[in-house]
Amino acid sequence: MISRAQRLLFWSIVWFCIAILSVPTIIVVGASVTAGNIITFPPDGFSLKWYGAIAMARDLRQAFGRSVIVSLICLAVSVPVGTLAGIALTRFRLRFANALQVYLLLPFTIPLIGSGIGMMLVFGNWGILGSVWPVGVALAAINIPFIVWSVSSAATALDGDLELAAASCGAGRVETFLHVTLPGVMPGVITGGLLMFVLAMTEFLVSLLLTDARTVTLPVQIYNNIRSIITPDLAAISSVFVVIALLAVWLLDKLVGLEIFLKSK
Amino acid sequence: MRKSVKRFSARIPLRLFESQPDERRKDPVMTRESDTSPFPYPLRWRIMDGLESALDAVWPRSMSRYSGWALVAPALLLVGILVLGLANIAESSLHTLDRSTFLPSEDYTLANYQTVADSATYWRVMWRSLLGAALTVVFTLLLALPYSYVMVRTPSAAIRKALLVALFLPFFIGQVVRAYGILIVLGTSGAVNDVLGFVGIGPFRLLFNFPAVVFGLVQYMLPFAVLMLAPALTAIPREIETAATSLGANWIRTFWHVVIPMARPGLVGAGLVVGTLSLTDFAMPAMLGGGSQDFIANAIYDQFFRTADQGLGAALALLLVALGSILVGIAIALFGAGTLGMGGKR
Repeated sequence: MISRAQRLLFWSIVWFCIAILSVPTIIVVGASVTAGNIITFPPDGFSLKWYGAIAMARDLRQAFGRSVIVSLICLAVSVPVGTLAGIALTRFRLRFANALQVYLLLPFTIPLIGSGIGMMLVFGNWGILGSVWPVGVALAAINIPFIVWSVSSAATALDGDLELAAASCGAGRVETFLHVTLPGVMPGVITGGLLMFVLAMTEFLVSLLLTDARTVTLPVQIYNNIRSIITPDLAAISSVFVVIALLAVWLLDKLVGLEIFLKSK
Repeated sequence: MRKSVKRFSARIPLRLFESQPDERRKDPVMTRESDTSPFPYPLRWRIMDGLESALDAVWPRSMSRYSGWALVAPALLLVGILVLGLANIAESSLHTLDRSTFLPSEDYTLANYQTVADSATYWRVMWRSLLGAALTVVFTLLLALPYSYVMVRTPSAAIRKALLVALFLPFFIGQVVRAYGILIVLGTSGAVNDVLGFVGIGPFRLLFNFPAVVFGLVQYMLPFAVLMLAPALTAIPREIETAATSLGANWIRTFWHVVIPMARPGLVGAGLVVGTLSLTDFAMPAMLGGGSQDFIANAIYDQFFRTADQGLGAALALLLVALGSILVGIAIALFGAGTLGMGGKR
């Protein structure tokens, strides 16, 4: 049915897309195992010495540690906030629901440079600029629609009669929430939490604006190092991100299945 | 959940028991026991009852009309930080930098906006950003449409999964690492120049120019565009294409007259998202443009961190937010906020 010409054209475009999406990643991982001292591809012999080098590098290790802390804070803020909001948007009849949605989408519609500069000014006024934890809160604020979206799509699928059934069996509001509603939306909470964590690990621009030399996170550290000198240790640290991404994609596929993103609403 | 069911069923006979004193008299042993030691409430029940009564005290059932608002309030506060940030930007954009003290001036003025409007540099940066964003939209959609078409229409689940993984992996790797990969691939001694060297041409200077930035943006935006287009293509029944073919249309005509018009909402949506994100991007121009290809975001950053002219930077930032909001406003007006899919069917 699909003609040969169409198949040929479309598949060559698909292969081109796969190439531009994947080749840089493959080359970064390849370059990280070089035995030489400069970035080359194919690598100049195999060695893991650059992984040893990044494990020893204090600045990279500390930046990695701060990225993990920031992501955990982002998770601790966004999971409760996003879960409650996602449930509220679907399980409750709210007035001005449309205005509410537009408002909750602001983190996506305000350009990141605007959000970042704005929070830099606000945190500066509050005197908390220069600590690590506000970065986590900031990343929760800019990515919150992701978890609200994933929780509310899980809550839409949950049958509201289950909550009424629990209540009529004598369960109070707390009990209904903990034993019926929360387990029901848990797949959405886990998916959203996963997205929030990985996006916080890799977030760059807002972290760049909110950190200084003492609180720099890993993506910002990589950016600063690229501007000075490109050595294979950066390829090694980048490969850490590739591993995180592989884990995240695998988990996402296990939890909800990647095909869910193809569905039309 | 099973545990809680057990608890309810345990409680109901207990209540019946209490309401029927006649029955109690029949069984004197049990009466004595329940008189001396009351039913042993497990700790979990007591905690749960404590929580329930605490909630009843803090948020009585009569307030349940506002429960939804109470649950959504933390999210409103969190997003409120961003709104407060915008207000701060607006406020500082009204103060010019006093060149003698290097402090923002006391009085309110629109001078910063005048400076932006008069400056040829900012107009050039603005046009470069707009041109870059427009080119990115065109190239990204040209690549994303066939990609999502193949992904949606392929009969093989394995191919579909592989195409999805190829999209999601870069999405999770992050912009800095991806830009770093492009730096390595396109460098003077990078893979592309190596291949060109085999053929006997080059090396070319592929980095730190405008096309490199656009290439980086297209690479960055491709997953977003495909993921926005795919649902629109899924919604087109395959039979319509078959019908067009059986009526004698070749695949180009089918694609042009059937698929593209039916996928138009997805195309416009993806185009607007890609356009807004690339218009406001910072990392790609900074890393692949090498300082000579600044977009608006880079100009804002420089005003804050290089020249330390906070007011001018804030004015630029507010203009960019306005520009972005207009684009997003068009998107919402065309498709409604529901396209981005929160809330649910009511």
